[in-house]
Amino acid sequence: MTGIDVLKNRRSNTVQSSPQSRKINRQEIIAKGIICFFTAFTIAILVWIVGYLMVKGFRYNNDVSYDVTTQIEREIPLDNTDEDVVFIINSKVRSEDIPVAGLRKLYNKARKENWGFYNQQNLKVVPFAYEGAGSFSDDVMNFILTGSDLETYRKNVSQTSSWEDMIHRVGQTPGALGFIPASKAEGLPKSVKVLSVRRISLIVSPSVLRIQDGRMMREISQADADKLFSGKVVNWKEIGGIDLPVTLVFWDSKDASSIINRDEPVLAKIQIVHSEEDFYSSIVNTNGAVALGHYSSIESEGLSFIPVLRHETGWNLTWHFIFESPARSGQWGGVSYIILNTFFLILFTIIFSTPVGIMAAIYLVEYTNQGRLMRILRMGTETLAGIPSIVFGLFGFIFFVQICGLGIGFISSTLTITLMVLPTIIRSSEEALKSVPQSFREGSLALGASKLQTIIKVVLPAASPGILTGIILAIGRTVGETAVLIYTLGSNYDLVTGPSSSARVLSLHLYMLFSEALSFDRTFATGAILVILVLITNLSTTWIVKGVNKNASV
Amino acid sequence: METNKIAVNKLNLFYGDFQALHDINIEIKEKEVTALIGPSGCGKSTFIRTLNRMNDLIDIVKIDGTIQYDAMDIYKQWDLIELRKKVGMVFQKPNPFPMSIYDNIAYGPRTHGIKSRQKLNNIVENSLDQASLLDEVKDRLHKPALGLSGGQQQRLCIARVLAVEPDVVLMDEPTSALDPISTSRIEDLIDELKKSYTIVIVTHNMQQAGRISDKTAFFLHGKIEEFGGTDQIFFNPVSSKTEAYISGKFG
Repeated sequence: MTGIDVLKNRRSNTVQSSPQSRKINRQEIIAKGIICFFTAFTIAILVWIVGYLMVKGFRYNNDVSYDVTTQIEREIPLDNTDEDVVFIINSKVRSEDIPVAGLRKLYNKARKENWGFYNQQNLKVVPFAYEGAGSFSDDVMNFILTGSDLETYRKNVSQTSSWEDMIHRVGQTPGALGFIPASKAEGLPKSVKVLSVRRISLIVSPSVLRIQDGRMMREISQADADKLFSGKVVNWKEIGGIDLPVTLVFWDSKDASSIINRDEPVLAKIQIVHSEEDFYSSIVNTNGAVALGHYSSIESEGLSFIPVLRHETGWNLTWHFIFESPARSGQWGGVSYIILNTFFLILFTIIFSTPVGIMAAIYLVEYTNQGRLMRILRMGTETLAGIPSIVFGLFGFIFFVQICGLGIGFISSTLTITLMVLPTIIRSSEEALKSVPQSFREGSLALGASKLQTIIKVVLPAASPGILTGIILAIGRTVGETAVLIYTLGSNYDLVTGPSSSARVLSLHLYMLFSEALSFDRTFATGAILVILVLITNLSTTWIVKGVNKNASV
Repeated sequence: METNKIAVNKLNLFYGDFQALHDINIEIKEKEVTALIGPSGCGKSTFIRTLNRMNDLIDIVKIDGTIQYDAMDIYKQWDLIELRKKVGMVFQKPNPFPMSIYDNIAYGPRTHGIKSRQKLNNIVENSLDQASLLDEVKDRLHKPALGLSGGQQQRLCIARVLAVEPDVVLMDEPTSALDPISTSRIEDLIDELKKSYTIVIVTHNMQQAGRISDKTAFFLHGKIEEFGGTDQIFFNPVSSKTEAYISGKFG
């Protein structure tokens, strides 16, 4: 018999499918397809949500409007001296460059100067200066002090005795800022780094900023600015402005050579001037004129300019963010205190709620008859578990804060959350206790153990995985709780110091950051921490229950 | 020389309105194996559970009549905990606690206040030895008891009962959940234990009752139909119902 014969035989032996069975098979396949589709859809949505939160939480990606373009200068030429100046900072400062206006503010301490204004790092600025280098020092001072007060400057800066001393002291002082001649900037120690300066602005004729047909040139992206100066933009309306031809103004042909000598044709009009006065006057007087000029000239000459959007991206959720203490309502620094507060809140909530909850569950399961009272009690706990948390918050505010006089603070919020999570703990402990086989109790009692001994030594250990699950659910609820805390915990972002100290926890911090528009990036970073925390809590459930179960499992 | 360990007099037991036991009178002698046989639902398990007051756990149970253990009424004169120490019980399904083998055995002595490590070690070893389980588990005393086989678990439960030094051991169908080999080991064990303990055993298995017991009580519809020496019950029953049951005509 050949192989084909075998196959034929086999086929003839199979039972012919009836129309009924074919229909059932078809239904089966369709149902399976639908189920698979919805499963995949749900998973995709979940992954997308968590992924989005994580990406936004970990990376920031913003267009920030600055008065100056993104062009950075490491060494800055001075007016009357041949040597360039280099600004240096302590390496702990997480800035690489700064707009020139910011640099001047740092030296003048117009406000309580802090690096936080520039990089969200809560670090006081300590400016250093050296006046012993003759005309170079004077020139730097002039550069820094354009239009500012010499007296304030002298009062604020710390004088150093030499350039070496300057480098040394900047390296020693966190948040330090200083300057040295470019020739000394070679081989700086690791504790010191160069702070580049951005001081080129996009100066335009006032005509460009007119409003026409509801359109106005408010700001320009760096890409558009680059396009503008490569000569490809003929009319302002091409990059979001009004209908006005573009004229590029250059100081002299050397400046202009960067675009004129290129292979690509220059479409925009070009105007080259040879003196400072001509430069400014042609910008002001030519309709649609645009030029690159120093930021200082905007102030001194009263010129118009277009802010430039700089695309900034980087890590949002950094170790710094986790380990630094918050400052300025959470705009600067990190969330370390807030994470600690969250843990304290969880800890005390669990300390208060677990014994009460477990004892209540033991009473309900082991000591009462399953009668009418029990049904009412059970209904009560279930209703409490379903009440919106803001109602609990209201209750906590009226009862603990007002009537008990505990004030807005840690103890009020802990007690309110305890009340809120108690039903969860009672219900899950009850279920856990009920699931302990009656034979365990009988076995223990038959050995002459009392009821209490039986409960403590046999029933509770056997029920502990279930009870722990309930506790962890309660932790999850505590971590995510916001509404209660708005009313009872206040909004202080310091570390909790006592029962009546107001504080913030992560969820509340997130709410404050967002609702007070303090920082969108930080809101997402906090959210990401919360997601991770909840993830850890859930995973730890599995681990803990496994660990507890070790004796119980085979 | 043979004294009455347990004397039951006119015992009636009610589950709510349902009367489960009618006028039970039985005397259980010291160091004998008394088997309780009978069809399902005849009340033999209910009866054995009253002997160490396990029925107290069920709220609706009401009892009248007297049960005396060592000539003292178990409801009026015996302290419940002392009674249960003296009258231990092995259940139908092996029910080791979710702890280690050692802790299972030491549980009873510990609850009765023995703390000395040395004493506990001795008790655990002796009890396991008596339950002929020691050789199988001595290398894994601190492993979970639930990892043992069903037969081993049941012997562990017996050892656990022996650890509190009882006088009477009640066994409620101890082999019904076990395979034949485990069953025969438990039967051997019962034979061994009979030398030092009074044993009351409920069984569905008449051959088992015949093999291991000295006296047999046949329960039917909540009454003791016949009670006597095992040989007499099996080979020379007085009641025709006993004969019918033993010869397999019903049950």
